[in-house]
Amino acid sequence: MNTGGLTRRGLLVASAAALLKAEPGPAPPLEYQRGGMLYRRLGRTGMDVSLLSFGSHTDPVDRMRTAPPRKNVLSEQGQARRDRIIARAFDMGVNLLDVYEEEGQWEPAARMVKGRRDKVLISLATENPYLDPEQAFKLFGHVDLYRIQTSQYDSRTLETWDTLRKAKEAGKIRAIGLATHDERIMTTALEDLEGLDFIFFPYNFIHARGDYSRFLPLAIQNGVGLIAMKPLASGSIMELDPRARPGAKPEFERLQLFSRHVRPILPSAVAELAKSLDRMPDETLCMAALRFAYGQRFLSSAITGIFEERLLEDNYRALTRYSERRPEERTALDAARKVANLLGPNWLPAHYRWLEERWRV
Amino acid sequence: MARLSAVILAVAFQLAGVAQRPQGQEFQEAGVCARCHVISVVEWGMSAHRKAGTGCTSCHGASVGHVSDERNNVKPERMPHGGAVARLCADCHKDACPKSGRKAACSDCHHVHALVDPNKQASSADPRLEELDTRWQRFSRLMEEGGKLLALEQWEQARAAFRASLEQKSGDPQASEKLKLCERRLKPDLLGFEITGKQFEDKTGLARKVRVVGLSIPMVLVAGGSFEMGSERYAGSKPVHTVRVGAFYLGEHEITQAEWKMLMGSNPSAHQGTRFPDADQMPVEQVSWQDAQAFVRKLNERVQGGGFRLPAEAEWEFAARAGSPAPGISGRDQLAPRLATAGGPDQLGLYNMLGNVWEWCSSMQRPYPFDFSDGRESASTAGLRILKGGGFADPGDLLDPAFRHAERQDRRMRWNGLRIARDVPAVIP
Repeated sequence: MNTGGLTRRGLLVASAAALLKAEPGPAPPLEYQRGGMLYRRLGRTGMDVSLLSFGSHTDPVDRMRTAPPRKNVLSEQGQARRDRIIARAFDMGVNLLDVYEEEGQWEPAARMVKGRRDKVLISLATENPYLDPEQAFKLFGHVDLYRIQTSQYDSRTLETWDTLRKAKEAGKIRAIGLATHDERIMTTALEDLEGLDFIFFPYNFIHARGDYSRFLPLAIQNGVGLIAMKPLASGSIMELDPRARPGAKPEFERLQLFSRHVRPILPSAVAELAKSLDRMPDETLCMAALRFAYGQRFLSSAITGIFEERLLEDNYRALTRYSERRPEERTALDAARKVANLLGPNWLPAHYRWLEERWRV
Repeated sequence: MARLSAVILAVAFQLAGVAQRPQGQEFQEAGVCARCHVISVVEWGMSAHRKAGTGCTSCHGASVGHVSDERNNVKPERMPHGGAVARLCADCHKDACPKSGRKAACSDCHHVHALVDPNKQASSADPRLEELDTRWQRFSRLMEEGGKLLALEQWEQARAAFRASLEQKSGDPQASEKLKLCERRLKPDLLGFEITGKQFEDKTGLARKVRVVGLSIPMVLVAGGSFEMGSERYAGSKPVHTVRVGAFYLGEHEITQAEWKMLMGSNPSAHQGTRFPDADQMPVEQVSWQDAQAFVRKLNERVQGGGFRLPAEAEWEFAARAGSPAPGISGRDQLAPRLATAGGPDQLGLYNMLGNVWEWCSSMQRPYPFDFSDGRESASTAGLRILKGGGFADPGDLLDPAFRHAERQDRRMRWNGLRIARDVPAVIP
């Protein structure tokens, strides 16, 4: 059948665009630049978010188990390192800091934002029912983004939502939203959760099924802000990069893929990826992946877990000319997709394999 | 100036006081302007301008924007002041004033609307003013006499005095109110209510405490009045504004599970069963706004006189403020509602206005200022409905009469209940 060169993806994207055109929705988020950072409006909240946001996950290397309701705290050295990276991120213009109290981060974060509360947006999640949000309001003054984080949608979800709405009405929260890994929950929430301001959802160049989901046009139409989680597939995309990391020891060269048991089955695909990456010596696969996310105008921000200054620099550099993706970049992303495809779900850590099941195109 | 003011006030008084009397010709001629600018139209009505057909628009322009802007943000096209008045006069009066020979400062000798000289002394008494003065004196005397009789609880004589005073000044709101009070005290029984206690409200003459006949749901009179609604503390409760509410009856406590079961035959509450042995006396919860509407519909079918409903948001807040309730229970205290009559009544005799369960109001969620007539009270419109009072699961700072929450009409939560309201019913003939 002659489809006039239109791919399945192209067809679906065109259909989504036509749907949006039929009922004129809001324009893509307002974007502007200050310093080296880009900012976009988060839905109808009136808040401008840096395109690069600072994720809540702490470095597992520095974690120490602790008593409930927290799960972990960071070692003194680990906390100092995290604080240093956050301070550097603020200097770069990052203005959204996501914080997990289960990782013992409310107090350190409150300390970090003291004196610049008007410049930094604090994002929290309902992590477990034993954490008292009132404590967060006391620590931060107010919370800019508060989201329910759920894998189930039931009466408890509605009750938690009701509590968040009341806190918003009382002026303790500026915007309320949802983070979920389940597309059906997002679609239900868009219709069911009154006053939904934003959604955090998984999105990267491999797990981009959101492009075809009913929730995406509906969210855009309703003026709901969209923030991409897992733009680097929980860091696994970096592992696909077969090149040596700067400063890596010689034995780590041709890093993960070449040193693992999968090496024998992937030579041609990996070679193709390595070749395409070699054509852009100034850019890593991680940067290309982020530039893919930044290039999606419906996203207000992409939130990544940052454990090293080098990663922060990479993420920041990816902001440069993000909208002009080069052909060699596209080739590299295609080659990386192919490698991920050949690897099956095993290229992701066991507890992130749901990404493959639910969000792969 | 004094004479002019007196005549204008007298005519305005006559017009305002005698609502039934047809308005003067000048009001018809002034058209839409007369809706608000009563005094100016009266002034203009006595001028030579009116006789010459020079109307409001001749000097102020058509002012279409001003006419259609009810909030008065758009001003008339022309509002001349000072020297500009004389320049406007000169548009028609090309020659100098035939009396003074001046071409400027016309308003020194001519009132801008009435055109008469405000400095000229009255040459003779105005008979209209004298007649009004006599009637006013009679009216005052009768009102005073009625007041004394009221204090002596001589309702029939007082009623006669107020009737007579209304003959002097028909439609006077004070006299009408007092007359109604006398009639209510003479026939205090209300349809569908059984009066409990011997207290009657001073201004309205209505029984302060009643019970719904056949169901024994206790209700308390909220006498009505003006209050400052809203709060600067919460984003959704701004701005603070003045609202007037009429008299109504409000449930002494939240509708209990027993009361709900008695009328609806079922109990939707989450807090019932063996864990809650006194559940019957706890407030019903997990009811939606639509469920609450069904409840009041059944109540209206069952009780003579009807008029039961949910309180409007403004009525609820007025009652909560008037009673100055003590802070109720919140989620920091316990995990379930307490008995509907626990904690003691507030100054109005109402229980648990703050805390325990959220109470549905009839009003839709719309921004303030609150207005009974802007459609927010329409029962058939889709949209969020207001809940007030805070619940057992909320932090204490939400238990504030001004705090407003809203929810979908069909949503049931285990902390949402209701308290009924009723319009003042007709007296039993």
